[in-house]
Amino acid sequence: MGMTGYVLRRFLALVVTLFGVSVIVFLLVHLSPGDPIRIMLGEQARPEDVQRLNDIYGFDQPLAVQYVKWLGAALQGDLGDSIRSGVPVIELVGQRLPATLELAVVSLLLAVGVGIPLGVLAAVTRNSPIDLASMVIALVGVAAPNFWVGLILLSTVAANVGWIPVFGRGPGVMESLGVLVTQFDARPLWDAARHLLLPAIAIGTSIMAIITRMTRSALLEVLGLDYVRTAKAKGVRRMRVVFRHALRNAILPVVTVIGVQFGFLLGGAIVTEVVFAWPGIGRLIVDGISQRDFPVVQGSILLLGVVFVLVNLVVDLSYSFINPRIRYD
Amino acid sequence: MKKFAAPLVTLLLAVLLGTSFAQDGKTLVIGTVAEASDLDPRITYDVYSYQRMYAIMEPLLVFDTDLSYKPRLATSWEYAADGSSITFDLREGVSFHHGRTFTAEDVKYTFDWMLNPDNPAANPALYEDIEEVVILDPYTVRFDLSGDNSFILNSIARLHIVPADLGENEDFGSNPVGTGPFIFDSWSRDDRMVLLANAEYWGGAPKVERVEFRPIIEDATRLIALEVGELDLYYGQPVRSELDALEADDDIVVQRVNGLGHQYVAMNTEHPALGDVRVRQAISHLLPREAIVERILDGVGTVGTGPISPDAAFFNPDAPTYPYDPERAAELLAEAGIENLSLRLHTNENPIRPQMAEVLQFEAAQIGVEIEVIVEEFGAFIDRLLGSTDYDLYLIGWSGNVDPNYAMYELFHSNGGSNFTAYGNPELDVLLDEGRRLAPNSPESIATYKEAQMVLMNDAPFAFINHSEEVALNRAEILNWEAHPYSSATFQDLHLVEKLD
Repeated sequence: MGMTGYVLRRFLALVVTLFGVSVIVFLLVHLSPGDPIRIMLGEQARPEDVQRLNDIYGFDQPLAVQYVKWLGAALQGDLGDSIRSGVPVIELVGQRLPATLELAVVSLLLAVGVGIPLGVLAAVTRNSPIDLASMVIALVGVAAPNFWVGLILLSTVAANVGWIPVFGRGPGVMESLGVLVTQFDARPLWDAARHLLLPAIAIGTSIMAIITRMTRSALLEVLGLDYVRTAKAKGVRRMRVVFRHALRNAILPVVTVIGVQFGFLLGGAIVTEVVFAWPGIGRLIVDGISQRDFPVVQGSILLLGVVFVLVNLVVDLSYSFINPRIRYD
Repeated sequence: MKKFAAPLVTLLLAVLLGTSFAQDGKTLVIGTVAEASDLDPRITYDVYSYQRMYAIMEPLLVFDTDLSYKPRLATSWEYAADGSSITFDLREGVSFHHGRTFTAEDVKYTFDWMLNPDNPAANPALYEDIEEVVILDPYTVRFDLSGDNSFILNSIARLHIVPADLGENEDFGSNPVGTGPFIFDSWSRDDRMVLLANAEYWGGAPKVERVEFRPIIEDATRLIALEVGELDLYYGQPVRSELDALEADDDIVVQRVNGLGHQYVAMNTEHPALGDVRVRQAISHLLPREAIVERILDGVGTVGTGPISPDAAFFNPDAPTYPYDPERAAELLAEAGIENLSLRLHTNENPIRPQMAEVLQFEAAQIGVEIEVIVEEFGAFIDRLLGSTDYDLYLIGWSGNVDPNYAMYELFHSNGGSNFTAYGNPELDVLLDEGRRLAPNSPESIATYKEAQMVLMNDAPFAFINHSEEVALNRAEILNWEAHPYSSATFQDLHLVEKLD
């Protein structure tokens, strides 16, 4: 019962949060200088053409009126059409969501796959050269901006290794897995993987670094507790102490970080998507902002907000599975 | 077991590496700066959409790389003796990609759509002098003109013909059909647009089977992709500091062609000081144009001489210019009796423009003129020009000057739609009106515009900074591609382009 009530309350909070997101996004987009019509028409715009298009799109109506119209339509699932291309925003986001999701998931898998073992290694070899080396890696990883890592990877790796492409996305991972299973053909999956490799590393590096540091410090704390000493004193093997007893308790803050990072990944890979010409949501938003394509920016950020809040809910719910002592009331 | 091992490993390797080995020599991959917005020529504004359209659809005529007219869907055209109409003979035996034959109906449909005020036509001003499109027979069509605008031919050359039976399809812009050398196949926005060769193209079958347009915003990524051979053609300004290295690279061909745009400092002639022609001339004398082109533009571009490209027949080399001369500038200010002049200069955040503005600011300070540089986001900047007169100087560019009417009328005629400097000279107005009456490219027309440049450059409402230059790159194995000064049309002859193995 406690769990159901908790989830219900969280959903209520979700509605309030999204309402806030919608107001903020709408105001930010509309109050920033420059209107989409003038940007579209460019330097040679004539006042009568601007007026004609404003009449069509209604951008000269009061903000409150525009907001209510937009929100009303959005509640019915209509996020409007792109000013630039005339394509419905839902369709634009839908086309790009798979690209962004697969990049986010692969980056996160890389980050977790490297970050947790590296953090454990650093913790159990505390103050050794291994510990020091992993902390230096983590520090550099946190400090280096994603897009910079991306550009460095491009000019060093992609420019010299023939099978690693410089830009773009291969076939979709899910479709490729389907081909592998149904036709025993690994080529699409390989093609997808080699396109994913560099962007995933570029994005995953900083998250890997954060996870490494979190794992190390959380594990160090737990390793100093009495029950761990007791386990060691009982003669439990060291690996078993670390992985079965200590890590399980230390991992909660790491899971929180992973959840938050996943949310950021969905929208936060914006610049990296531009660097690798990855056809994801980040690029859609960048283009939308520079062209003041209001419906595109509003719609995609609102949808990202939904995903972000949902991911956080899933993370919070997962605590009780990882550590059954946690209850929701 | 052993005897299976070798074939198994080979098979595995083949499966894994298959895609990287499989190179289709007949696909032409083009990297561009930005994604197209829409492929409906009637409602689209941006260059990147036009570049793709030129491979799929065709206008009645196009501009050749020397900007002369080249027939496309029209084979010839003739002005009425009194200039009141133009009659086009259309090409026979041309099919749209869906199989129907192209006729005068399609021409009339396309232009009627543009002239209907209920439609959201792009740049309707370009066509407003067309009164009616009259079909004389299936392959002859007459454009009746309402006003004097002999350069209407240039506007007609900018519009691709839409098939009358498909033009009302809601998805025409994302699923276009034309008569051009390539057939639209698929479009995954921000990723790639795929076109397939039209073997039946009237101008001859294309030399490659497929064309892929790949939008890559980041210049460095696009450049690396070209260098490793993932792209065959590269459109868009390359990183300027890389130009020397690229020109020395045997695998890459660097194409440089004088463009059709220019950048300038415009002066609000209603400002008490800027209303005096001597003050405007003084400001023009303060621009070290050679240094700006060399240092800020890294040599890409040429010194600004006026609104018309020095390559054009209409260009007047005898019109006054204002070479960098701070002493002369100071004299002119003294003659005008100006002291303690303080001006604001607005520009947009395009990275090179604030740098140009700061150069002018520095030079002006040396002779005691204070200039405050205000950098605005592009939309806000345009709002200022269109919605107010709250500016003294502004620094911006103008593009697409295929003819002297377009280069001068909008900016400098008293009735010009983009005349934001409140500049007006009846003598210039008469000349610009006269130019629209004369046959384009005739000696009379050329003489008229040369005279117009004399008047304009004497009045100096603008200080011209530089003429633009187009830079495009291709791999050495690509033949027969020529970058076009009118950047929208740079892929209009894509069917001639060959890719060596």
